[in-house]
Amino acid sequence: MITVNCPVCGAEGDETDFHYGGQAHVRRPATTDAANVTDEEQRDYLFIRHNPKGLHFERWRCDRGCGKWFHAARDTVSLDFKAYYGITELPPDEIIAQAKGPWADYFKERMKAKK
Amino acid sequence: MADLHFESALAHRIAPDTTSISIREISERGMIDLRGNTADKKFMSAAKSALGVELPKAPRTSTTFGDVQVLWLSTDQWLILTGRARVTALLGDLRKSLGTIFSLAVDVSDMRSIIRLEGDGVRETLMKGSTLDLISEDYAPGTVRRMRFAEIAALLHVVEQNMIDIYVFRSYADYAWEFLMKAARKGSEVKLFPNS
Repeated sequence: MITVNCPVCGAEGDETDFHYGGQAHVRRPATTDAANVTDEEQRDYLFIRHNPKGLHFERWRCDRGCGKWFHAARDTVSLDFKAYYGITELPPDEIIAQAKGPWADYFKERMKAKK
Repeated sequence: MADLHFESALAHRIAPDTTSISIREISERGMIDLRGNTADKKFMSAAKSALGVELPKAPRTSTTFGDVQVLWLSTDQWLILTGRARVTALLGDLRKSLGTIFSLAVDVSDMRSIIRLEGDGVRETLMKGSTLDLISEDYAPGTVRRMRFAEIAALLHVVEQNMIDIYVFRSYADYAWEFLMKAARKGSEVKLFPNS
């Protein structure tokens, strides 16, 4: 059983009060270039998920509380939540620095676009 | 068309004397569901002028003004309670005041059943159906939060230290009542801190 804190309403509860919403920051290829989406890209977008040992970025919903979605960074080994952040936000800088795999690329691009 | 009239989902239920705390239904409260943008000052002041009280912005809180009680449900949603007979008038005032502001106010009086639990050990009784730490300081009087109770969705309102209202959807009222009857049976009290 893991304990979750909702960053929107501040409620604390275990995972049965919340709903896990899968991997966060998955990019939909059609959003950037709708005319040229390959079958492989679409397959990866729909079905291929990253399953790392360590830091994992995911979406959660405060299911039985305020009903809002939020993001969380969680360690899949210790099950510790490293950070909670809003559904439209990026994680804190120190967490971004630790990101690997598809998330590292995603954050890099988002940070670039921000500047 | 036959006249519509309210009938409680728990009307046939009589609280037996086999429970260690007092459990009864409150059917005289009417409810209005209000949604709107907290950042919209026009919306906030329009709601205040109709209700006479400001909408609570802080999570999991509630405010009271005379007969009107406002419970925080989410960052953009409130549940307004008042006497059942007053709902239509209050809803009219609210809609008139809100006018064309992007918002929603609906009479949901018959959507939920309210069960009031009162007495020593209400928190411990509720904790039999919940994973929340209801005896912590987070749950001081006035606290409101939605929760998972006995595997169903419920709304918790701490009225006083030993008085808690549970709001469950009408179709679950019977089940929630049965659960509470069993959970609060005399002799099954849980003493979390027997020496305190």
